[in-house]
Amino acid sequence: MEKKVLTVCPYCGTGCKLYLVVEDGQVIRAEAADGRTNEGNLCLKGYYGWDFLNDPQILTARLKKPLIRKNGKLEEVSWQEAIGFVAGKLTEIKKKYGPDAIMGTGSARGAGNEANYVMQKFMRAVIGTNNIDHCARV
Amino acid sequence: MSNSIPEIENADLLLIFGYNGADSHPIVARRIIKAKEKGAKIIVVDPRITESVRIADLWLPLKGGTNMALVNACGNVLINEALYHKEYVGKYVEGLEDYKTAVAKYTPEYAEAITGVKADDIRKAMRDYAGAKNAMILYGMGVCQFSQAVDVVRGLASLVLLTGNLGRANVGIGPVRGQNNVQGTCDMGTLPDVFPGYQAVTDAKARRKFEKAWGVKLSGRIGYKLTEIPHLVLQEDKVKAYYIMGEDPVQSDPNAGEVREVLDKMELVIVQDIFMNKTALHADVILPATSWGEHEGVYSSADRGFQRFKKAVEPKGDCKPDWQIICEIATAMGYEMKYEDTEEIWDEMRGLCPSFAGASYKRLDELGSIQWPCPTEEHTGTPYLYEGNKFSTPNGKGQLFACDWRPPLERVDEEFPLSLSTVREVGHYSVRTMTGNCRALQQLADEPGYVQLSVEDAEELHIRDQELISISSRRGSVMARALVTERVKKGATYMTYQWWIGACNELTSDHVDPITKTPEFKYCAVKVERIKDQAGAEQHVRDEYAKLRKQMGVNV
Ligand code: SF4
Repeated sequence: MEKKVLTVCPYCGTGCKLYLVVEDGQVIRAEAADGRTNEGNLCLKGYYGWDFLNDPQILTARLKKPLIRKNGKLEEVSWQEAIGFVAGKLTEIKKKYGPDAIMGTGSARGAGNEANYVMQKFMRAVIGTNNIDHCARV
Repeated sequence: MSNSIPEIENADLLLIFGYNGADSHPIVARRIIKAKEKGAKIIVVDPRITESVRIADLWLPLKGGTNMALVNACGNVLINEALYHKEYVGKYVEGLEDYKTAVAKYTPEYAEAITGVKADDIRKAMRDYAGAKNAMILYGMGVCQFSQAVDVVRGLASLVLLTGNLGRANVGIGPVRGQNNVQGTCDMGTLPDVFPGYQAVTDAKARRKFEKAWGVKLSGRIGYKLTEIPHLVLQEDKVKAYYIMGEDPVQSDPNAGEVREVLDKMELVIVQDIFMNKTALHADVILPATSWGEHEGVYSSADRGFQRFKKAVEPKGDCKPDWQIICEIATAMGYEMKYEDTEEIWDEMRGLCPSFAGASYKRLDELGSIQWPCPTEEHTGTPYLYEGNKFSTPNGKGQLFACDWRPPLERVDEEFPLSLSTVREVGHYSVRTMTGNCRALQQLADEPGYVQLSVEDAEELHIRDQELISISSRRGSVMARALVTERVKKGATYMTYQWWIGACNELTSDHVDPITKTPEFKYCAVKVERIKDQAGAEQHVRDEYAKLRKQMGVNV
């Protein structure tokens, strides 16, 4: 059974709308949708830019497990250990050097507005600094 | 953008400044072509023969790094030929006298000597621009990669104010943003000086509002900019931990060697991303996030349009949405953060940001796209800003701005005689971990990437098209394939920044402009050399590529 999901292209600021066509839990193609900015058109990236979701192992591998560097090597750990490690370290650094010794970034790519909202809230409310920025490359 | 993407095709004149729509935003480029078909005049300012240049009525081929001199000369012509809109300026704009003084010396002839653009072409461009009923300016990377970027943008905005091309449809000025959600990250306050909705952290009233909502005391001190980090870490030893969400500074930022040094000196580097990348190689901890397609939310398009994106498939690994990971860390640090879904986050945000308040998920579904400001749920959004020509300055008037041109910080010399600028390529996108992992796109072009150079320089250096060559700057050296093209002027070279072997950011400089503190994004002096042993070089590229992919965890 094919299912069509209306979404927005993740590549550039034009914000073209497209349908991801999904079969058996895999994206099989993209179709242009009638968005405000694209009116039924897409470029190459819109048409073919979804394939990384299938993790074809071309350039880099998907990150699938939390990793912590132990004795110089990145090792797989549980989420619980990873979250505990990060929280502990950040608390320690904040105590030792103050909140302004910590810098965070937002993401201008796939994460979305909600994730960026939560990130800046985390830096401001939890860490206690306005050290939050993103790569505002045009 | 002050106006909307669809309005581009209804303008009577487009002034395209350092923006190559065909490569960076093909669907915007279509609108430019449509405008032309509908009779619009097209004026393009660009050192390269881009696709826009091919359809241009007038091309101003300026030398790289001379934008400000040209913009000032444009203002000079508008003033001296009395082409500016006196009534509009009188009513809505201030600073005219200072502006006149600042641009006085930038006669077209004076600018010609700096920019290489013919004085009469500058005059003609401004006569056309001022004479058009509805004129729009589009600018892009070509403006923003130089240290004077902020000045140039304000200078361009002054041309818009002088001609009264604001506050209605089919006019205005637009930076056409690169990455899909740069607009959104700004909207959401991932900036050191503003909360979500562009509310200043230095404004005590705004701070009180957020303090009340979040239940904690907040800092009113403006935070660090990303571009300050290398200096703050290496020279001042002030920043100790770096939480990097969905970015790859080793690949995307200038002077990659220094970025690596920064990461290695930090006590804690947290990388939260979807793919292994060059930055993650330096991480102390890696948190795997779900990707576009595996989670939902809202993006902001370049023209301020909020649009929902949806989940299509289940995540392939043990990944979590970015916001959920952050909430878990916050909670583990003793600040409980919990949301049922992205809608709950969005609603909290809307409650704190008056200009986004009306863009609920429900309304977004009904309307498809809502351009902010959208203050209430009855409001349908704002296609163009500054209706009634009211500006966000204290007295509501538009501010004219000009300042002196300053030459690029790094100049070509005998040892490094060519200039290098970094540009975008149509098939791939920024750091390429997404597009590079798409089979159809990967076939378009692959490692080590290309360096574009002029026919004249190639002849002089005995370099043939498609040969591997070596490019070096004061900071490093990489190998790439030569793309010899008539579109590039002698003395200039161009690279795209997504390649791993031909990584141009091993070469670029992060020199900071002494006045604005903006780094010289991606412009530097280089030398290009021929490689005699081509077979050996090809083998080297294959070996390096295999090594990198292995490092990135790919099954080779
Ligand atoms: S389809 Fe092309 S033009 Fe449209 S948003 Fe995606 S990358 Fe940009």
